[in-house]
Amino acid sequence: MSIIHVSSLKKSYGRKTVLDDINFEIAEGSVVGLLGPNGCGKTTLIKILTGLIKDHSGTVRIDNEEPGAYTKSIVAYLPDKSYLPDWMRPKDAIGYFSDFYADFDKEKAEKMVRDFGLDEKQRLKTMSKGQQEKLNLILVMCRRAKLYILDEPLGGLDPAARSFVLDLILDNYAKDSTVLISTHLIGDVERIFNRVLMISGGKLIVNSHVDEIREKGKSVEEVFKEVFSYAW
Amino acid sequence: MLGKLIKHELRHSARYTLSIYIAVTVISAVMGLTLLSKATWMGVMSCIALYAAGFIAIIVTLVSVIKNFYDTLFGRQGYLTMTLPVKCSTLLLSKVIVSFTWIVASFALMGLILIMVFSYAKEKSAGYFTMISDAVSISGILEVLPSASTVISLLIMAALWAVITIFTYVSFVYFTVTVANTRRLQSHPKLLGGLIFLGIFSVNNTVGNLLTQYIPLTFNVGTDKVYFAFEQMGAVEEALLSYGVAGTAFSGIFAFGLLCFTGFILENKVNLK
Repeated sequence: MSIIHVSSLKKSYGRKTVLDDINFEIAEGSVVGLLGPNGCGKTTLIKILTGLIKDHSGTVRIDNEEPGAYTKSIVAYLPDKSYLPDWMRPKDAIGYFSDFYADFDKEKAEKMVRDFGLDEKQRLKTMSKGQQEKLNLILVMCRRAKLYILDEPLGGLDPAARSFVLDLILDNYAKDSTVLISTHLIGDVERIFNRVLMISGGKLIVNSHVDEIREKGKSVEEVFKEVFSYAW
Repeated sequence: MLGKLIKHELRHSARYTLSIYIAVTVISAVMGLTLLSKATWMGVMSCIALYAAGFIAIIVTLVSVIKNFYDTLFGRQGYLTMTLPVKCSTLLLSKVIVSFTWIVASFALMGLILIMVFSYAKEKSAGYFTMISDAVSISGILEVLPSASTVISLLIMAALWAVITIFTYVSFVYFTVTVANTRRLQSHPKLLGGLIFLGIFSVNNTVGNLLTQYIPLTFNVGTDKVYFAFEQMGAVEEALLSYGVAGTAFSGIFAFGLLCFTGFILENKVNLK
């Protein structure tokens, strides 16, 4: 059964077409890489899936529903920017998530905040960027969501931090749920994907199972390089 | 969910306004202490500071309604707010309730300041107040003033008018910010937002004034009662005060319509940057 169903999706900003006739389905329980260079339309697609952009054409269904209040209750979304207000402290953010998301594990979040060396009473504005990103990720991964959508969770991180973040994701996502990770850093994450979607110039160029790629004797990164050297 | 949204909205918006309320409390305490001393200048300074604080509280509140709405929906915090599992109409309602509450609180604070300053002045200048009171009694003004029940009715109507006016302001602000942040306009949201606000403000005032002028429905205050009359303003001879209600009714309906439209845009046309 598919958790995401996208058909004939098109989105333009003025005359510029950002997504053009996108069609795909993602089955429940898979870890999917949404790959492509910067500015290819990954974030726009994610915003549409999360209901942050509504003025598009085509059909988008999450768990058989159009993006709305229900889909937001089952989707744990990590944007590519810090979205918590500066005055919040980790304990405020945990209280906020706990109030609104029935699937949020408050105890687990409190434990992870302590384990990762964050001060639960420190305001976000006095935290480093890395600490803020850690907190954002903890909040998202402490939900037992049906679908996790992570937009560039590795962007701007050094290799050690990337490994830490990937482990955090893999150790904490609900195993029967689906994870969609958008990234342009293929090498670090290709080991965790079941399926990859590659977007270039607003078009879905590759929609393939990782096993199919490997059967051809290639890695995802090699396919990525082939596709995007061609696409560019 | 509405209760939780209101709780978090209050916490968020309190950052802008709470400090001014604390300042007013401190100044009031200082003013109270000056009652014990003979240093009149301290009392005068406290009164001026209180007026200023009350005025600033109103301005800060009105501006924070705009800033809070923008920040939480169209700023980076929009990624948090707009992905909450609630309908946009519920989100909007919580914001209206909280903005309304803060605006009422700021005007109530100003009212409280006026009462405090009046009480303070009365305490410090008891002789003058007795003189004024005697003069009022002798002049016979009290005999033509409305009865207590009429004043209460008048206050209720004034409160209703204030509710509609505040609701109208909140609705105009929300509509303006939302439309200015749709994709086609979001390149110059401040400039276009200002023009949109000016536009709807002008429409509201022009249509409201025309309706007040041409629809003969007035709220009137007599010496012993308040009543509505199907007559033009100024035509009700026995009324001490006459107010045309058609314009205010239009403002309320117009504001409600704009708020519904704002909900529709948020639900269907949102385009978070």
